[in-house]
Amino acid sequence: MENYLIAMAVSGCIYALMALGLNVIWGFAGMVNLGLIGFFAVGAYGTALTTLKLGFPMAAGMLTGTVLAAAAGAGVAMITARLRGDYLAIVTLGLAETIRVISSNTIWLTNGTDGLSNIAGPLRGQISPTQFNMLYLAFVATIVAVAYVLAERLRAAPFGRVLRAIRDDEQVAAVAGKDVMAFKIRAFAISAGAIGLAGALYAHYTSYIAPDLFVPLFTLYIKLALLAGGLGNNRGAVIGAFLIVFFLESTRFVIPLVPMISAVQGAALREILIAALLIVLLRYNPQGLVPERLPRLPVADAAPGKPQTI
Amino acid sequence: MPPFVAEVAQLVLNGIMAGTILAVPAIGLTAIYAVLRFPNFALASHATVGAFAGYVANVQFGLPIVPSVMCAFLAAGLAGVVSDEYVLKPFRAAGFITTAIASIALTIGIENLIRFGFGNELRGYDLPLMRDWRFWGLRVGPQQVQNLGIAAVAMALLFAFLAFTRTGKAMRAVADNPMLAAIKGINADVVARLVSFVGMGLAGLGGMLIGLDTTIDPLTGFRAILNVFAAAVVGGLGSIPGAVIGALTVGIGEELCLLFLSPDYRSAVGFTAILLVLTLRPRGILGARAY
Amino acid sequence: MTKKTLIASRRTVLKGAGALAFTGAMPAIVQAQGAPLQFGILTPLTGAGGFDGPRMLKAMKAVLDEVNAAGGLLGRKVEVVVEDDQTNPEAAVRAARKLIDVAKVPVIMGTWASAVTAAVAPLCWESKTFLTTVSGADSITLLPHQGYLIRTQPNNYLQAGKHAEFIASTGAKKVFVMSIQAPFAQPTQDRIKSVLPTKGSEMIGALIYEKDKTTYRSEVDLALKGKPDLVYLNGYAPDVTVILRDLYRAGFTGPRYAQSYAVTGKVLEALPPEATEGVITVQPSADVDSPAFALASKRLGIPEPDSYETQATDWASLVSLTVAKAKEANGTALKDNVRKICQGAGTKVYSAVEGLKLLAEGKEINYEGASGPCDFTDIGDIIDCKFRYNKITGGKPVFLKIA
Repeated sequence: MENYLIAMAVSGCIYALMALGLNVIWGFAGMVNLGLIGFFAVGAYGTALTTLKLGFPMAAGMLTGTVLAAAAGAGVAMITARLRGDYLAIVTLGLAETIRVISSNTIWLTNGTDGLSNIAGPLRGQISPTQFNMLYLAFVATIVAVAYVLAERLRAAPFGRVLRAIRDDEQVAAVAGKDVMAFKIRAFAISAGAIGLAGALYAHYTSYIAPDLFVPLFTLYIKLALLAGGLGNNRGAVIGAFLIVFFLESTRFVIPLVPMISAVQGAALREILIAALLIVLLRYNPQGLVPERLPRLPVADAAPGKPQTI
Repeated sequence: MPPFVAEVAQLVLNGIMAGTILAVPAIGLTAIYAVLRFPNFALASHATVGAFAGYVANVQFGLPIVPSVMCAFLAAGLAGVVSDEYVLKPFRAAGFITTAIASIALTIGIENLIRFGFGNELRGYDLPLMRDWRFWGLRVGPQQVQNLGIAAVAMALLFAFLAFTRTGKAMRAVADNPMLAAIKGINADVVARLVSFVGMGLAGLGGMLIGLDTTIDPLTGFRAILNVFAAAVVGGLGSIPGAVIGALTVGIGEELCLLFLSPDYRSAVGFTAILLVLTLRPRGILGARAY
Repeated sequence: MTKKTLIASRRTVLKGAGALAFTGAMPAIVQAQGAPLQFGILTPLTGAGGFDGPRMLKAMKAVLDEVNAAGGLLGRKVEVVVEDDQTNPEAAVRAARKLIDVAKVPVIMGTWASAVTAAVAPLCWESKTFLTTVSGADSITLLPHQGYLIRTQPNNYLQAGKHAEFIASTGAKKVFVMSIQAPFAQPTQDRIKSVLPTKGSEMIGALIYEKDKTTYRSEVDLALKGKPDLVYLNGYAPDVTVILRDLYRAGFTGPRYAQSYAVTGKVLEALPPEATEGVITVQPSADVDSPAFALASKRLGIPEPDSYETQATDWASLVSLTVAKAKEANGTALKDNVRKICQGAGTKVYSAVEGLKLLAEGKEINYEGASGPCDFTDIGDIIDCKFRYNKITGGKPVFLKIA
């Protein structure tokens, strides 16, 4: 049981890192990214290929994955600079699907739908599975903690203020002399980098990645994590991520208690339950469990705490 | 016809067939967007609801195809009204993305309700399979032509409804300018219910049309949803003629790409097309809300 | 198992209040007491594999029900803990964690998608849990699994070679292969391409299509361009049904060839009979005279169980017999002993119950399954098998031959 809980905590941390990353562009800057699984894939493939094919150590691989994902994020930001709201949503969704299709087809590089196995993990095989899980949990938890601190500083820094200004009114920000485009690109790169790092961490944790992993459902989980926790709030992002994992996992133990249903009905019921829990949570806490608290500014703020969406 | 021309013509023809079917749910999506201002991902499961309602009507009650298609429309439309009223409506104040995300959770819920009731088995409509007609070295299926007809009639009815009826005009008014419409005394709630009914009804109709061509299971709508979105976005979210043009663009584009790419790249091509169109026209071919 | 342990375990249960009346009412279970033995089942119940998972689950449960009715294993009743892998490697890993770390099952049976199997396999070998699968990717058995994995699906080299030989023997000279995008697509096409010419036939072309498309008209046009006289459909039920319709509409009248799991009884119900008329289905099989297939058919109440149902039957049987043979239920015992009951010189048995009886008498056995002889190489691939061919006639599978 402990091993299971540790493993789920690792999942929670990886989700949390993605939620923190997503928060930078969605929560701070108000840009919708439905394709974050694409950056996750870039990070995962980046580290897997660097360590497996080029033989670099894990740290170098993770760095490569993170940088590649950040670069991809910057690229996406440049391509989609003119798009807003729903159009950005569908384009990013499409880009992530395209990354999946390409990774399925470039067999020479990614091994296609077979996926890449035997990705190294720190001390994997030399210590017991439980020890490995504990070690990895310590590792990812540290990274999440660091990311959290950085994200908090980012939020309070002038950079974060400009992003919120862009979120609330792009034109006003531009009129105030801010290079909106440059800020968007940097925000996207930071966000994609964090998500890519999460992908790299996932790859080294499970030792296997394949295109089938990078499906829109994963993106949805993270979106829901951030919404449930509180958009724009880093603490909310982390709490939301763990909450999602809790919903996903706890339902597993509830369903067997329901009598007189087939296995398929049980599986269906579990997903209905997860969906219902999330809808109810969002419904009664539309600002999330931890609403956004804006740093006090000298100027009066008319509506504190309300994440503005278009 | 020279072989290459025939090949291209056949691909275009296949694309038109696929695109027309795609247009029906894409219109539903874009209509809902025009009035309620959020991309409703629950369209996927409503398409499946329609497909299964049509299945029950056709196979279990033995109705012919056209009445079954109407059942598909009605069932999905009603499901749309109920799900919007009780699940999505409260989210709208929280912004379009929250609503859109909630609609994804909703669609997973509904998909699994169907799975709970019907299981995962593939099901087929009670419909004789016909060989294609052949002419000038091309082929086209009688069933596809019938589907094309049903889709065309549905679209024509919708246009007539929007252009000539009072309610239709009210819907357009709300889509164009909700504030002005409210001043004019148009009840936005009624219009919201109506557009949910018509939009999801069209999704259900589209789901059944897809099912007529294939088999149905709880994932029927999910398989089509990305292309439906692509179509609506390429055409311009909120524009009904745009959805038709977008659907044909995506449908024909996905087929024509087979000329120079292997079939396993098809969906990537659809999205590259979106990106191209949106780079040139950030609000889609027919812009936003150009009725 | 000895009578002594049975009695001892009965006593422990009798101590439990209320158990007496219950066991008295169910004589079949009387012999199987003590805490139930839990086997893990991880199979797709939702997602793309949702069509196949439930059938495998049913087949496994049917075997284990028989085992329980015959007294269970090691004096204990067998239970299954079922988790849905959602046809998604990430979800599957979490589900497998629960099976391994919470339910502490000795075995996980039923993974379907290759990506799911490859994702779950490392967990299994690291935690010394046995894994049985149908996944077709050749890379699966090449993983460093230390023996903790067996696959009943013949690998692509073996099966595509045999398929090609059969196809050539039907007199088909020009063959086109349509494969769903999956790890088995390319190796199967490569193997068919190389074997057909040795038998006087030829693969005139092949394509790989995407899953989840609502129409494959243009793919069918591509396939029929070279006027093949046989089309090999290497996909799953949701896509193969669409292609069968599109092939019919395109006027193709020649034979179509598919795996039995893609043209199941349910698929035949869902499709108009004219679309499936003359389709040849193939599945790995035991020898002609083996009663294992007939037993599986009877147990499931299905005239022609498909490849996944027969393989699932074999997993549950193999695992039950291995537990009985090893006299303990853990992953390492399963890995070390599975080959002692499924290959070698022992008496051939065709069902779990039959084998358990002989094992209890202290005899050596050799399980011959419904999906083949179930003899495994060191890396967990089946060594060899026959193939069972059916031809769909009037919407019903009609037995053609085993070769």
